[in-house]
Amino acid sequence: MTTPSTDMAQLEAELIRTTVVRLRSRVMALVFGMVGGTALFLATAILLARQGLEVGLHLSLLNNFFPGYSVTWPGAFIGLGYGTLSGAIVGWSVAWIYNRVADRRPPG
Amino acid sequence: MQESVLGRLHPDPTGNERADAAGRPACVIIGAGPAGLTAAYELSTLGYSSVVLEADDTVGGISRTCEYKGYRFDVGGHRFFTKVDYVRTLWNEILEDEFLIRARLSRIYYRQKFFDYPLKPVNALLGLGPFEAVRIAGSYLRARLWPEPEEANFEQWITNRFGRRLFQIFFKTYTEKVWGIPCNEISADWAAQRIKNLDLWTTLRHAFLGSQRTGTGGVVTTLIDQFHYPRHGPGQMWESCTHRLEQRGMRVAMRSRVVGMRHAHGRVRSVRVSESGGNDYELEGEHFVSSMPIPALIRCLSPAPPPEVLAAAAQLRYRDFLTVALIVDKPDLFPDNWIYIHSDTVRVGRIQNFKNWSPDMVPHPGHTALGLEYFVDEGDDLWSMADADLVALGRREVDTLNLAPADAVIDGTVVRMPKAYPVYDGQYRDALRVLRDWLGGLENLQLIGRNGQHRYNNQDHSMLTAVYAARNIAGERYDIWDVNVEDQYHEERAAGDTGHGGDRLVPRRIDRSIQEVLADVFATYDPVALGAAVGSVSAVLLFLATAVLLIKGGDPLGPNVSLLANYLLGYTVSWGGAVLGLVEAGLGGFGFGYLLATTLNWVIHQQQRELLARVAGTRSMSLFEGDESS
Repeated sequence: MTTPSTDMAQLEAELIRTTVVRLRSRVMALVFGMVGGTALFLATAILLARQGLEVGLHLSLLNNFFPGYSVTWPGAFIGLGYGTLSGAIVGWSVAWIYNRVADRRPPG
Repeated sequence: MQESVLGRLHPDPTGNERADAAGRPACVIIGAGPAGLTAAYELSTLGYSSVVLEADDTVGGISRTCEYKGYRFDVGGHRFFTKVDYVRTLWNEILEDEFLIRARLSRIYYRQKFFDYPLKPVNALLGLGPFEAVRIAGSYLRARLWPEPEEANFEQWITNRFGRRLFQIFFKTYTEKVWGIPCNEISADWAAQRIKNLDLWTTLRHAFLGSQRTGTGGVVTTLIDQFHYPRHGPGQMWESCTHRLEQRGMRVAMRSRVVGMRHAHGRVRSVRVSESGGNDYELEGEHFVSSMPIPALIRCLSPAPPPEVLAAAAQLRYRDFLTVALIVDKPDLFPDNWIYIHSDTVRVGRIQNFKNWSPDMVPHPGHTALGLEYFVDEGDDLWSMADADLVALGRREVDTLNLAPADAVIDGTVVRMPKAYPVYDGQYRDALRVLRDWLGGLENLQLIGRNGQHRYNNQDHSMLTAVYAARNIAGERYDIWDVNVEDQYHEERAAGDTGHGGDRLVPRRIDRSIQEVLADVFATYDPVALGAAVGSVSAVLLFLATAVLLIKGGDPLGPNVSLLANYLLGYTVSWGGAVLGLVEAGLGGFGFGYLLATTLNWVIHQQQRELLARVAGTRSMSLFEGDESS
């Protein structure tokens, strides 16, 4: 036999079980942007610090997508900007699509 | 049957006062605001004697008019407008020919410019300028294309209908100043009820096409652009009422605070009155009518009510109010009766120009009297500030706003009004129900007025509650709590709209239960949604990367990107490969996102289980402790 208090407990449990996270687009854009920019900057900087005959042979291919980028110190800063921008776009897009899909799905 | 049959309450030499000389029931009325004085007036008309006890030294409650060196200041603005015929009759009877008919002008002040209130789109757009107009149009467009998915709070509701920019300019600052609650914590119901059927598009359509219909076909009635106002302010009404009561033999005892209320067997027997001179006395009566704040009333009761009633009383909250009255050595400053200040650079919320309410409020024709209204909480920094500092603040702020030069302010004073607005928060309704139920058990006690009922009544409806209370004493059966207060009473409203169960609309803080908070803390990720998001973004990125390489050309084409064929079956840097990569990256991304969400959810469930186990442990321990202590 159920009592009002057990009904309420079940409702509470159901509420907690069916609540789905919403992603904040701006926060996601900020986090992905920071990670993207920092990652590309550090990747470039590490290669430059290690030096070698052909520095960053593969990484420099990114200039196919990021015009002006190269494995040089100025390029590291340009990469920082590109990495931040593209990371932000990816983060924002993931959050935006996630929220739209989550909104349209039945709870639970 | 009026003054000739009225008796007077005679002080008892033993320190007690009892019934009138004619033996009719004596009525004790607590509070000499509009409700208390109306109750006494109506009772006297019905042939009942009463005594009114007022803790303050001024009658009128929040509708008082204060006087400073001959200058008269209201506590807030009080237009006399009512749809209740009986109240209108009372006003005319009490004040006779001292009523003025005044034109209404009230505008919004924002960025050194005035905007019509209520907002008129053309006026607003012209005042804000083309750049701001483009921003507003852009933010409106954005709100229509990508509305906030949820409309739980005031900010979301307004933004979805007017765009974020208009919300920031015309809604946010003033609402937060008045109610002291961030807009994202105010329930959306308030906006929905106040601004129903209206959005920017509807507003623009009305402005340009002259339509007077709301979205649901209701006709928008015109604003009240004229109102009645006593020549010397609303306080004159209550000073005149007091004078008439005294002429009829009633006593209005000023500086007489009720500090105790004795009750037994379901009836109030007497009140304990403390005069400011230090004299205390007990006053018995047959009927008691209270307009004092309910929590104060509850604290007075002897014997004390049960703990749950005391707890409910402690839950009622108020918003307080102070006016900095400034005398300005200028004959004319601006034509408005009052101005809403939407600027966040100053703390003043509204400015009254009392000379524009009535020229008789200002004794010197070369001067103007302003009332700078600050919405505060009792005890906060403004409330606690010294009067001289508040006057200095007011002087600086009128100068900052370019409404009056600081050196033209020649004098000033401060009026503090505690408990000006009852707050409708998440707990008030339940608390009020408990209090009403318990106080309803005292058969000869009736609660009236704004604070007496913890209800945001207008003056006319406070008076109506008093009339009902008086008639109940005379044997009729009115439900005082059923006095209907229409929404948007003084403002624009759609004809045919019904009222809101007697409550004038005020914002309500969003009530979040602990379960809802817990649900947020332990909210899980939707695996399908995260899969779809990661999949879509991966697919688009790979497609774009391939497309960029194809467009740029070269030989060989994208040798490094084509290494992805190790993971994406059949992928090449070609247009066919781009489409294949789109599908495969989409599926791979979906799988990754789905797996990521599932793993995160597993971790969240573990944390939840651990916390609940800890809570259960704590509960068991407190049960044992409870057994020991009992």
